Amino acid sequence: MSISLEQVSKHYGGSVAISDVSVEIADGELFVLLGPSGSGKSTLLRAIAGLTPIDRGRIVLHGRDVTHVSAREREVGFVFQNYALFRHMTVAENIEFALRARGVGAAARRARVNELLELVSLQGLGKRLPSELSGGQQQRVAVARALAHEPRVLLLDEPFGALDAKIRDELRRAIRDIQRTVGITTILVTHDQEEAFTMADRIGVMDRGRLQETDEPRVLYTRPRTRFAATFLGAANLLLGRIEGGGVRVGNTVFDTNPSERGGPPRHGEVTVLIRPEDIVLGRSELSAASAGELGYGTVRQIEFVGVLERVRLHVEPNEWLTSALAPGARFTIEATRNSRDAETTKLEVGQRVRIGAKHVHVLPTPISSLRLVGASEPDVERLASSSLVRELATRMHIAPVRHLSSSGIPPEALGGLAVVPFDRAGGFDGIARLLDEGARQVLGIADGHRRIERLVIYIQPTRAAREAALAAAGTLLRHLAVEGTLLVPAADRTVRGTSYRDLLDIRHAALRAHGVDVRTETFRGDVADAIGKRIHPSAPTLLLLGVSSPSSCYGLIEELGPRLAPRPPAATLIVRGNADADRDANTISYLRSASVLG
Amino acid sequence: MIAAAQGVRADAANDAGSRVVRIALIGISLLFLTLILIVPVIAVLGHAFADGLDVYLAAITSPETLSAVRLTLTTAAIVVPINTVFGVAAAWAIAKFDFRGKHLLVTLIDLPFSVSPVIAGLVFVLLFGAQGRLGPWLDAHDISIVFAFPGIVLATLLVTFPYVARELIPVMQMQGREAEEAAISLGANGWTTFFRVTLPSIRWALLYGIILCNARAMGEFGAVAVVSGHIRGLTTTMPLHVEILYNEYDLTGAFAVASLLMLLALLTMIAKTTIEHYGLTRRRRLPHIPRGPKRNDPGISA
Repeated sequence: MSISLEQVSKHYGGSVAISDVSVEIADGELFVLLGPSGSGKSTLLRAIAGLTPIDRGRIVLHGRDVTHVSAREREVGFVFQNYALFRHMTVAENIEFALRARGVGAAARRARVNELLELVSLQGLGKRLPSELSGGQQQRVAVARALAHEPRVLLLDEPFGALDAKIRDELRRAIRDIQRTVGITTILVTHDQEEAFTMADRIGVMDRGRLQETDEPRVLYTRPRTRFAATFLGAANLLLGRIEGGGVRVGNTVFDTNPSERGGPPRHGEVTVLIRPEDIVLGRSELSAASAGELGYGTVRQIEFVGVLERVRLHVEPNEWLTSALAPGARFTIEATRNSRDAETTKLEVGQRVRIGAKHVHVLPTPISSLRLVGASEPDVERLASSSLVRELATRMHIAPVRHLSSSGIPPEALGGLAVVPFDRAGGFDGIARLLDEGARQVLGIADGHRRIERLVIYIQPTRAAREAALAAAGTLLRHLAVEGTLLVPAADRTVRGTSYRDLLDIRHAALRAHGVDVRTETFRGDVADAIGKRIHPSAPTLLLLGVSSPSSCYGLIEELGPRLAPRPPAATLIVRGNADADRDANTISYLRSASVLG
Repeated sequence: MIAAAQGVRADAANDAGSRVVRIALIGISLLFLTLILIVPVIAVLGHAFADGLDVYLAAITSPETLSAVRLTLTTAAIVVPINTVFGVAAAWAIAKFDFRGKHLLVTLIDLPFSVSPVIAGLVFVLLFGAQGRLGPWLDAHDISIVFAFPGIVLATLLVTFPYVARELIPVMQMQGREAEEAAISLGANGWTTFFRVTLPSIRWALLYGIILCNARAMGEFGAVAVVSGHIRGLTTTMPLHVEILYNEYDLTGAFAVASLLMLLALLTMIAKTTIEHYGLTRRRRLPHIPRGPKRNDPGISA
């Protein structure tokens, strides 16, 4: 591996800039860090170059641990957003700067400068001053200067940000060519998804200091694993679907889900479904593509002509089977793009009612598909809605919470997503247990809704089913909340039902690989309740995540923990129930072994 | 068309109005300058040469005057390099690093601007004088600071230390850290980075700061007057010498030395203008060089 980052973290004052980023980048790879501004991508790049010190973690370049090596000795080439050329030096002097610093002789320097000028197509401009060049030329000089000392890693920080569209396009191709010619491992930081798609071998999507997801551009676009990647990389229609007979039902159709898809094994109940606008098919009476499945009907609200494509926005009234994953139950918009031929054969007008279908749907493996607030009374539900944790999850995940009253029995759709109930201090885990009884897969009890959650403590019962579901939930929480995650694992000498150090490593590895999110692991000896109790400080509001394998084993754990945590309950408790069938399902076990497709 | 014509007429009226304002403003400035600056200069030169060239030459070649010139130049020669080094270091720290107490440091640098020079001088007398805290110890070791050359240097240092730093801070802040970071990531060490990257990019601001610092160091009166002790031919700088001669009713001598000081000021101004001119034409030739703050920043020459 050329570049290897292990749990790299960086704080500025109280705010998190980079949070537990781990990634490995292969020799000669062009890796693009993509994210909105403030997502920590530039900080991460500067950390790799040694320009910003990190608080925790390890940075390894070509097998050499450089975490504590100064920028001067890291042997990386860095290209700054504003080029940072030395204004008082000529182009040639700029390029040979690194060679001079290394005491290279004049003749060798001149030869190298000429070679580099040729590489970046600036022959004959060596004697100019940077201010006598265009922006694109200056950027080429910056690249040549960064390559002069033959570094093994090239880092580019938003290199095209200050250039106009046409030059940017040309320079992208030029830099891609140069990178291929030199074969240098490269990381490029950008907020422009088109740039990421056209240049990257692999893209790492960053948000809120975390590396949310890493994969090849095509895979990230067509089969993302996170809501963030799905919506950040292009337009996305996010709908709720329901697993039915090996497929997923969206609207009036049960779509096939490919079991080998890296989304993991099809789960039960409610899931989040992604349909890209180009996979939406519209028809006045019949759908134009025979292979498409019908979703339902909608009204055309807007038609935009964008050259080769036509973009159509439709309003859809939700029903039991067709509803948005952003605001379940509310009227929502579906976006479709059609090529000019489709637009020609099926002309549409604003206000027209049309049939909507989809060629293909992708099921996101994220476990939290909706937020269901369940309370006995309106004020109860209102309190849940105004709690800091629910608001944070709702804004970060772009989910509008749905309110349910439990006074006349718990409505079945409330069990689909993440059910949220008040944590009754007197009744302890009773409210949570009741929903688990009804069949909920994950229930969040909120004891203290006022303060922001700062820490996530995870304990998972040592069965594969529990681990699968709980790690998926933990991954989703860590991606969206600015919290530190700690996974509690029993120490090896007190082997608890077959868990050992090996398992500990496996768990971490599985968590990392499956969710791109790293957790810290802490071992404990003795009693689980003690270990958890010790890690719940009133000063740092904590979310306790308990992963259980089945409802029955859950009650055991609740009985054990309930009285012990009652005096000082965590600010919030999330119990995630595994799919009891998973333990018996040979396929699932092999999934878990390969640790690549945890759902 | 009508509207356009009216617009033109209105512009013409404005032009006429603005011309009156312009002439009035220039007139007031010139009158003010004449009264405040030119008349006194002429008066100084008039008095200096009132008794003829021989008396003037005798006045400026008297041993005491020569000693005052030597003292002033020596003081400036010590103070200016020290404050240049300090100013660059302080400006570097403030512009390129974030640290605790940064604002306090900026405020402290500005302090000599806001404190009366007499008080600055008194501080040293109180510290190092016979009745001062360190006085007895210095006395025991036969070290004289107050009423001696070291005191004059210290007082001048204190009064002139903001000039270089204040001139550099805005320039360095505007330039940011990227060029230095680039140099370091290219393998340059601290010295190379400073001499080959930082220094060339701040050279104009630095030169201007040095000139200002030098002008103040040679012309300082208040602080030096308090610590010098007015020992003739020993601890009198040129401004002090002027005062002594004047108080002794040696008007010709006083104005002769004053004219020397003026000559030094003039040389400084010429140096400043030359550098400014050179810097400006250079920048005009290179249109993409980021514009620094105006060289005549009023906040700096205050």
